[in-house]
Amino acid sequence: MTDGRAPPPGPGLGVIGRRQPRLDGFDKVSGRSVFADDIELPGMLHGRILRSPHARARIVRLDTTKARALPGVKAVVTNGDAPDLVFSERQPLLAKGFVHYVGEEVAAVAATDPFIADEALRLIEVEYEPLPAVTSLRRALQPDAPLVHEWAAGNVAVTHDRDFGDPDAAFAESDLVITDEFRSPVQHNTLAEFHVAIADFSNPDKLHVWTPTQSAPMYQMALAKAFGLESSQVRIVYGNVGGAFTGRGRAKPHHFVAALLSRVAARPVKIKATADEEFIMFRGSGETLYRFRTGVTRDGRIRALELDVTFDAGAHAEWAMILWLPALYPNWLYRFEGLRYRGRFVYTNTVPKGSNHGGIMGRMSAGWMQHLTRVAEELGLDPAEFHRRNAIEAGDHARDGSDFGSCGLKECIDRVVERSGWQVKYGRLPPYRGIGIGIGAQASGGKNASNDTSAAMVKIADDGRVTLFTGIPDLGQGSWTVMAMIAAEVLGIEPADVNVVGGDSDIVPFDWGAFSQRGTFMTGNAVKVAAEDARAQLASVAAAALGVQAEDLVFAGGRVHIRGEAPDAPGRSLSFREAVAKAFHGGEGRYVMGRGFFNSPRQSGSMAFSFGAQVAEVEVDPESGAVRVLKVTVAHDLGRALNPLAVEGQLDGQVFSGLSQVLYEECRMDAGQVLNPSRLEYKLPRTWELPEVDYTLVETIDPYGPFGAKEVGEGPIVVTMSAVAAAVANALGEPLPQMPMTPWRLLRVIRHHRRRRARGAPGAAPR
Amino acid sequence: MDAKRETPPAGRSRVLRLVVNGDLHEVLVTPRHTLLDVIRGELGLKGTKEGCTTGSCGVCTVHNDRGEAILSCLTPALEWDGESITTIEGLESGGRLAPIQQAFVEHHAVQCGYCTPGVIMSAQAILNATPEPAEADINDGLAGVICRCTGHIKVKEAVRNAWRYAGGAGPAPGGSHD
Amino acid sequence: MLLPDHEFLKPASLAEGLALLAAGPGARVLAGGTDVVFNMRGRLFTPPAVVSVRSLPELQGLHERPDGSLDIGAGCRLTDLLADPLLARHPALRTALRAVASRHVRNLATLGGNLCLDTRCWFTNQSEDWRAARGPCLKTGIDACHALHGSPVCVALNNADTPPALIALGATVTLASVRGERQVALRDFYRDDGIDHTVRQPDELLTRVIVPPTTDRVVFLKETARQGMDFAYGTIAARADGHGARAGRITLVLGSLTTAPVVLDAITTRLVADGLGDDAIDAACAGLRAALGPLTNLYSPAAYKRELARTLLRRALLALREM
Ligand SMILES: Cc1cc2nc3c(=O)[nH]c(=O)nc-3n(C[C@H](O)[C@H](O)[C@H](O)COP(=O)(O)OP(=O)(O)OC[C@H]3O[C@@H](n4cnc5c(N)ncnc54)[C@H](O)[C@@H]3O)c2cc1C
Ligand code: SF4
Ligand code: FES
Ligand code: FES
Repeated sequence: MTDGRAPPPGPGLGVIGRRQPRLDGFDKVSGRSVFADDIELPGMLHGRILRSPHARARIVRLDTTKARALPGVKAVVTNGDAPDLVFSERQPLLAKGFVHYVGEEVAAVAATDPFIADEALRLIEVEYEPLPAVTSLRRALQPDAPLVHEWAAGNVAVTHDRDFGDPDAAFAESDLVITDEFRSPVQHNTLAEFHVAIADFSNPDKLHVWTPTQSAPMYQMALAKAFGLESSQVRIVYGNVGGAFTGRGRAKPHHFVAALLSRVAARPVKIKATADEEFIMFRGSGETLYRFRTGVTRDGRIRALELDVTFDAGAHAEWAMILWLPALYPNWLYRFEGLRYRGRFVYTNTVPKGSNHGGIMGRMSAGWMQHLTRVAEELGLDPAEFHRRNAIEAGDHARDGSDFGSCGLKECIDRVVERSGWQVKYGRLPPYRGIGIGIGAQASGGKNASNDTSAAMVKIADDGRVTLFTGIPDLGQGSWTVMAMIAAEVLGIEPADVNVVGGDSDIVPFDWGAFSQRGTFMTGNAVKVAAEDARAQLASVAAAALGVQAEDLVFAGGRVHIRGEAPDAPGRSLSFREAVAKAFHGGEGRYVMGRGFFNSPRQSGSMAFSFGAQVAEVEVDPESGAVRVLKVTVAHDLGRALNPLAVEGQLDGQVFSGLSQVLYEECRMDAGQVLNPSRLEYKLPRTWELPEVDYTLVETIDPYGPFGAKEVGEGPIVVTMSAVAAAVANALGEPLPQMPMTPWRLLRVIRHHRRRRARGAPGAAPR
Repeated sequence: MDAKRETPPAGRSRVLRLVVNGDLHEVLVTPRHTLLDVIRGELGLKGTKEGCTTGSCGVCTVHNDRGEAILSCLTPALEWDGESITTIEGLESGGRLAPIQQAFVEHHAVQCGYCTPGVIMSAQAILNATPEPAEADINDGLAGVICRCTGHIKVKEAVRNAWRYAGGAGPAPGGSHD
Repeated sequence: MLLPDHEFLKPASLAEGLALLAAGPGARVLAGGTDVVFNMRGRLFTPPAVVSVRSLPELQGLHERPDGSLDIGAGCRLTDLLADPLLARHPALRTALRAVASRHVRNLATLGGNLCLDTRCWFTNQSEDWRAARGPCLKTGIDACHALHGSPVCVALNNADTPPALIALGATVTLASVRGERQVALRDFYRDDGIDHTVRQPDELLTRVIVPPTTDRVVFLKETARQGMDFAYGTIAARADGHGARAGRITLVLGSLTTAPVVLDAITTRLVADGLGDDAIDAACAGLRAALGPLTNLYSPAAYKRELARTLLRRALLALREM
């Protein structure tokens, strides 16, 4: 790859664009797919972690004697067993003298069966001296708040301040400046497969870990560093992953604890989160406060933007990436003169937090799009028109350095406006019906968090069947199927003839993994390069056999033939299998293996961005506060839909998750504890609550994407969250300062309306 | 902490006679075992998944002898002595997927697949009760499960279309991965 | 959250079952188990023995008595009741049955279990590890309530769906023990104490539920976060004779808002006098605050519960008027 620019795909793509059912479907629907919890290794022990019941306390006494004495217990570990093992930032793996959050790992046991492990855990005696704790973001920011760590004044862990252009001047030149505030709650990633890890460290030179992950290399590096190994000495096996939603990007304490227990016991150890433990250890998104300020001209052009975001990091700041992403985000959506971003991570005595489905952009947009809608309305502008007027376009050069090789943002806006009936509905719905529009963009990978390399290999057996080795995890998004499609397209064969081998870091070539929406773009390009490498080898063999130049050959429909001639012209074409056999059984004895990797020529940022717009329509019951989402109209510019069936699946899931987060999901926190640690009380909608979904796929054929594809992995949910929030605000006639927008929060707003109306105040009824 | 020593689990073991997918099993279990513990642990049938263990996610769904969906995590194993149940492994016949399973593949009603065995057992139970289910039957029959990946949208589509794959008319299963 | 150790007893007859309950102090009745297993996993209680009653022949069956009342076995599964044509005469009860959890749960759960369902509180219906962070409360050992500070009694919620409907229908329950049998009107079955939340004695088994015949209008409404698989934020069962705005007898029962279902007596007396006109309905809703007393923030904020109660009452009365 010189500049990473792919040739424009010609007509007649055989496989790409086809509605391809997933290749692992048979195993998944029949119960054959093996997940980590299904694995039983010989001699495997069951581990449990003893967690702190206190938000902050000193450990006065810790006695494991009785637990150790219980028959069947093979290992008990405390900080003394790994005093120097630092899990992240400055957090010791097992509490060292003090605990800083409810659920902090204090000790762990491994026993021959789960019942014994459970019992051993309750035989460990711990005496705590509780200390004053800071269990909410609000409290942490008060001047007299106790310090979570003495090194962090004001409980501020890290800050990230960044300006683009001259925001002060841009605000000064604005005709109208509007400010709004918003708040988002603690949320769980609600992945179907609970957190689980099996570690086998029986051999001190090799640590094997079976666990679901979004990024095997990140887990390898973290575990290797902690245990003094090289990355290659850590093997991560991640065959089937039961969902991730940003929840499996980083190794968590249970991975390390399982490894430690296994090292001590010299047997494999499984740790699996129990029912409510899942909600204690998950490290999803933390409470976040936002202040938005926007300056516009009379004619509705954005001049200046300001985003001020305060994150609850929990007791340790683990995931600084979410701190700086919001600074970049507006650059991918709007044209403006100046942007100011102020971000800070604040310590509290709660479990360390990271991200949730939609990343930081989803929850922020739920507030920001309400704010921008209000800006438009104050100007007397239709928000759809406002977004359109300020939207970036292909060829734009953004202030953060991003370029947009393809951009269908305006087309997406036009499509959803048209298909949702926006023109006849916006501003004309009956009271407590609302319609809202949101827009969004998402990077397809990028060198912000890593060097962003993906690699792939293919081997071709002499029976013509292809094996593709890829490190991209399949979290359900269908990457393995789409990678098989890419290889099949290049080689002119059927996806079913491609066997995908993935999910074992000892076997697959390097791949950073499935995060930052990089899979289709980065891994897809790598697979394409590898398949092209294999094809080139076959082409030279076939060309010699057919007496033509390799460039004259076409691989399609399971055959290799001469361009411009019939695919099955006798004596002038070969079946794919014959070509492979000629290579292997011919004089050269060539075994065809293709390899490739992909890395962006850009030194920072992303090569491609997806764009989207959505319109949501909601109905609020003014007497109960309940919201019903009636319809979501989606348009997403994903470059090209490689597998439209899987794309729809991605859109469905994100519309569902997006409305769920805005309207339902919240860890109800009290004194550092989750009050609702269950799938029952942590509300997610189910079958009855599904809206009608209408999709339009906008294909802008990105110049850099594999066959023109960008991402559809996390872009849409950001937009759903924007649109649903804007629709609820529209139904109530004012922005909602908080999500989730639960019945009681809506009723509070409605009660205010009633009171105002009773007093005869103007503007009391929604529109 | 009161570290009270408990009776070892094996202390109250009893033989459970349970027919699973047509096969009679006799296994030694204790009152501490739930039906799910026996299915996955003692019988090694790992198709049925373990999630919340408290009734709220549905990944542990199996059928009772009437083909109704029940949550195996919420019921003690010894309650099932002498009874017959079906798990996801019992849905296919002779390596051939049941129509509902085929429908899940074709309609992309499966993504990560962790919920899938439970969701399919729930879906099959709907069809057992109402071969031509109305929207409300589908919603009611699937409300007990949670599929984050698909948002239930294509799951419902698969249930509505399962009949198309009956009578062995469905396309053959695709390739497979371990 | 594994089940704690216990003895599993499965009596073959009612007599045997009652003897087991009489003999073993602290033995826990297990019917469908959907709540018992949940709470035992969390070690909210760790009984020495569990007595499985769902298959007892004396707790089965649904039949009509000569006086037209329905005699329902407490061991009947909610699913079977919903399928029974005899229940078609009580659409509001069917609505309440269908509102319980999900099909999956209803395929195990029994009517007796739903009527005896333990009160719920999110400071106690948690795992043992979770509770360790809070320390105990009135229900789990000491003199303090985390949900309503200073409360002398446990204020956990009665969150079951069928009690309001069955109270409105005038159901009675049969409680059997080795000491004999007694009938208790369901409206007298519940107590304002989240710990001893029913008048059932530990050795008693709820065996039958009798629902008298009626030609009255009856409605049941449930408000939840989501339509399936959810405990109620609030429920109401409402019943009236007559038609339109005229009624000579009205019964109103609010559920899931407090420790026991609330039968609204004072309000109904006025409604009977005034009829179900708009003003009377407004007045009834306005009078609700006094009738309900203090509410907790358990599962949803108290202010919301209060407003929800008014909404449920208004909707139920309007629905009755239309029937
Ligand atoms: C995920 C989930 C969601 C739920 N949602 C709802 C809901 O929406 N609405 C609702 O009402 N409930 C709900 N429940 C609670 C419960 O499942 C139901 O109330 C169910 O009807 C209980 O019946 P069971 O037979 O399973 O009771 P069990 O769990 O067997 O027993 C419940 C209680 O009643 C006692 N008991 C049972 N039978 C008798 C008897 N014959 N005599 C004396 N005592 C007896 C038991 O000792 C125990 O204390 C839910 C439960 C779960 C797990
Ligand atoms: S209401 Fe109070 S006493 Fe009752 S269970 Fe909850 S915290 Fe305990
Ligand atoms: S594991 Fe049984 S419902 Fe979740
Ligand atoms: S397919 Fe992943 S949760 Fe259903």
